[in-house]
Amino acid sequence: MMIMSAVDSTFFTLNEVATVIWQAADGCTPLSDIVARRICPEFEVDPAEAGRDAEQFVNDLSRHGILLVSEQPIPSPPPPEAR
Amino acid sequence: MTIALRTQDAAFRQLLEDRYAGFVKTSPNPQFEFDISLFEPSDSPDPSQAKHADDDVQVRLQGGQWLLQRGDFCARWDSAAGRGHIRQSRNPYAIDSALRIVHTLILARQGGFLVHAASAIRGGRAFLFAGVSGAGKTTISRLAPSDATLLTDEISYVRRTGNGYEAWGTPFAGELARVGENQAAPVSALFLLEKGGENRIEPVGESEAIRLLLRNILFFAEDPELVNLVFRSACEFVERVPVRRLIFVPDERVWEMIR
Repeated sequence: MMIMSAVDSTFFTLNEVATVIWQAADGCTPLSDIVARRICPEFEVDPAEAGRDAEQFVNDLSRHGILLVSEQPIPSPPPPEAR
Repeated sequence: MTIALRTQDAAFRQLLEDRYAGFVKTSPNPQFEFDISLFEPSDSPDPSQAKHADDDVQVRLQGGQWLLQRGDFCARWDSAAGRGHIRQSRNPYAIDSALRIVHTLILARQGGFLVHAASAIRGGRAFLFAGVSGAGKTTISRLAPSDATLLTDEISYVRRTGNGYEAWGTPFAGELARVGENQAAPVSALFLLEKGGENRIEPVGESEAIRLLLRNILFFAEDPELVNLVFRSACEFVERVPVRRLIFVPDERVWEMIR
């Protein structure tokens, strides 16, 4: 999967693990849960290493404004007509 | 391929000349022409097609013209007439994106493509370096020796030429923030990058090569015919150009294998 930042048009080509994280990033599910429930069982990777890699990945995307990193669940955006 | 960009805004014109320096020239007969109008941040690029800044890019045929949309631009392009209009914010990334999309549409019918890959010329031959983010495109570009000409560290431009392919430089820079050289050379190999504990080159099977190449090709249009053409282009590229996995230690010795 390839994603493009709407902020600076940077491209990211994602591997299989990063694709799972991207698709699971719903603003509510903690990153640790995504790693524990989706990444570790599916890719048979060490949880600690997977956690570190996942954090680096989301921080990279966050730097380009593609993902928001938050300590709290992020409310869903309003529907288009309310924008 | 010459594209004329017209704007009445002198400051924006200067911004474009600076941004695309090395790729700007005067041509009496451009192949494609775009008029650019600017909107302020509070405006929408197209009030009838209001989009949010975070919405996905959309590219589709509408009434015989291509419609290209993202939060910061809206473009219409009549590919047959070679004319179009881009309404955008002053953000230079908007024009970058619009031009990239236009080139993907043009190249799709010519057997070429844009690919998320670094590329460089060495010894008169071009080498492409693709890989997932973090695989080393920026690193290998930064490590390029003085006898290598960097075409891009971000988006490679690949054109079909008879029985082979040429890679051209692009002004679209990545993390290295260095614009490529406006040069071209026959493509000698595509390397799929992977950082490792030693430098080595491994063969890649044809089906895997096609799959991994497709993962890195830029294409945005919701158009089955063009999608099919891009798929065929990827298959034909792999038939004609060696695709190898380049596992490398991130230091300058990796370039000893790239000749």
